[in-house]
Amino acid sequence: MSFEPKLRAYTAPVFTVEVGSGERKMTLGGESVQPLCFFDKPDQPAPLIGVEVSDIGFETEGLPELAAFYAGADTLAARAVKAASLPGASFVCLHFEGADPAATNKSVEDCVAEAKEAVAACPLPVVIAGCKNIEKDTALFTALAEALTGENLLFLSAREEDYKAMGAAVALAYGHKLGAESAVDINLAKQLNVVLTQLGVASSSIVMNLGAAAAGYGFEYVASTLDRVRSAALEQQDGMLRMPVVTIVSAEAWSVKEALVSEDDMPEWGPREERGIQMEAVTAAACLASGSDAVILRHPVSVEKTAALIAALM
Amino acid sequence: MAKFVTIGERIHCISPTIREAMANRDPAPILKRAKEQIDAGATYLDVNIGPAENGGEELMKWAVRLIQDNFDNHPLCLDTANSKAIEAGLSVYNPVRGKAIVNSADAGDRIGNIDLAAANGAICFALCSKAGVPSDNDERMACCQELLERGMEQGMDPEDLWFDPLFLVIKGMQDKQMEVLEFIKMCSDMGFKTTGGLSNVSNGMPKLIRPIIDSATVAMAMMNGLTSAIVNPCDLRLMETIKSCDVIRGETLYADSYLEL
Repeated sequence: MSFEPKLRAYTAPVFTVEVGSGERKMTLGGESVQPLCFFDKPDQPAPLIGVEVSDIGFETEGLPELAAFYAGADTLAARAVKAASLPGASFVCLHFEGADPAATNKSVEDCVAEAKEAVAACPLPVVIAGCKNIEKDTALFTALAEALTGENLLFLSAREEDYKAMGAAVALAYGHKLGAESAVDINLAKQLNVVLTQLGVASSSIVMNLGAAAAGYGFEYVASTLDRVRSAALEQQDGMLRMPVVTIVSAEAWSVKEALVSEDDMPEWGPREERGIQMEAVTAAACLASGSDAVILRHPVSVEKTAALIAALM
Repeated sequence: MAKFVTIGERIHCISPTIREAMANRDPAPILKRAKEQIDAGATYLDVNIGPAENGGEELMKWAVRLIQDNFDNHPLCLDTANSKAIEAGLSVYNPVRGKAIVNSADAGDRIGNIDLAAANGAICFALCSKAGVPSDNDERMACCQELLERGMEQGMDPEDLWFDPLFLVIKGMQDKQMEVLEFIKMCSDMGFKTTGGLSNVSNGMPKLIRPIIDSATVAMAMMNGLTSAIVNPCDLRLMETIKSCDVIRGETLYADSYLEL
């Protein structure tokens, strides 16, 4: 007797969130199968890859390939165009790390001017990431949301501390999409979606940013959070957890010692760039296998590897 | 398992307001109670038209369309001793948001209601009794087997038979309470779904006591695997208890605002 697999019927797919305008559009979410189980049901959407570019440019010591890729791209707009040219890239993430008061403390006005130029130039949908300083991000996102009304950008992210201001400005007043960020805390992830919804933000405007960790740095918590969120969405049809998940892999992967220590300090570890790419690509693959609908990556080679993985599994 | 299913009991012809509204085909009181219960979180609404020996078919059709048309095809539980009226209600029922429930079949005269549910793709409440109150769990289990066999013969998925142990009134049958809970456990262990008229237990108690007893009963019954109940969803304490038990059973993920969902 031949084996007949009995498939779980998931009747409530992950919500879809549309980002971008005009020719530059993408849809996050929409799947009704477990992560990467495309063979379970036809016409499932592929996970997406975003490429991160920094407003102040990446530090590239020991990273010759990355430096070469962005050589001559001296503005955020030029870097965004470069990033968008990568095969496999679905969107570009403008990371305003220079806005951080603890770093260069770039003014909101300067950030807005750079963002407008980058959004105008970039041929792919744009995602905005802040500097992690609550006060600055609130001011920055509010100004960016207003200046770029109609562009339907995705802002990463609102947190427990600032969801009211972010929800009201970014989503309600200026009609953009908003990430809800919870640092690997499944109950908080649901709670943020509840309070944003109660504020009046539609579920079709909310994306979950559940946090990340590089492989080997507490990734098991990330995996179990992603896994439980997706199970609650598909199996329990929990309307407060059916939003798509975007994971910023780049910042985590490139901040651990395997990706930071120079070859001079650790000759036996080999070239820094190779280590960083491996860390980024491995973490991205693990996030996709656990339930991320999109991963944001930094290195062109990581993008290439991840795109090849997705293509091979589709 | 899944989230606990609440069936709102407040559209019931024992209520003079509802009886009059049904007799005069006056939508307002029925819609008001439907809205209150849906707002309070009832998964299903029970539509009890009583014995409805005369004109039951037209009345059930009218009530089903009235509620479903006004509340986005909210799922309903059709409750009457008149099988023809249930059949008529099923003929106009829209299952887009959940299968209809036939309330109810028993292992006695009303076993034929299982056939009705099977023929219409509905869920059927299966009272584990032949007539009146079963004397013990052996009798309940014998009834359960008969009902199950009948459903299987009719091609029903056992998931669509929700077994009712018959909740008994504490004032008068206090010594039977643990037995009812044990029967729920027996059904749950066999993988069956269960239901019942929960507020029976507190019948005759002071108004202030009833929510307390009902909440305690539902918590103990949910611990034993109860999957649904016919309840008063406007009883806030009871609904909060059910939501809390669903969190503890892992049927819904906890968030600080879980009581507001």
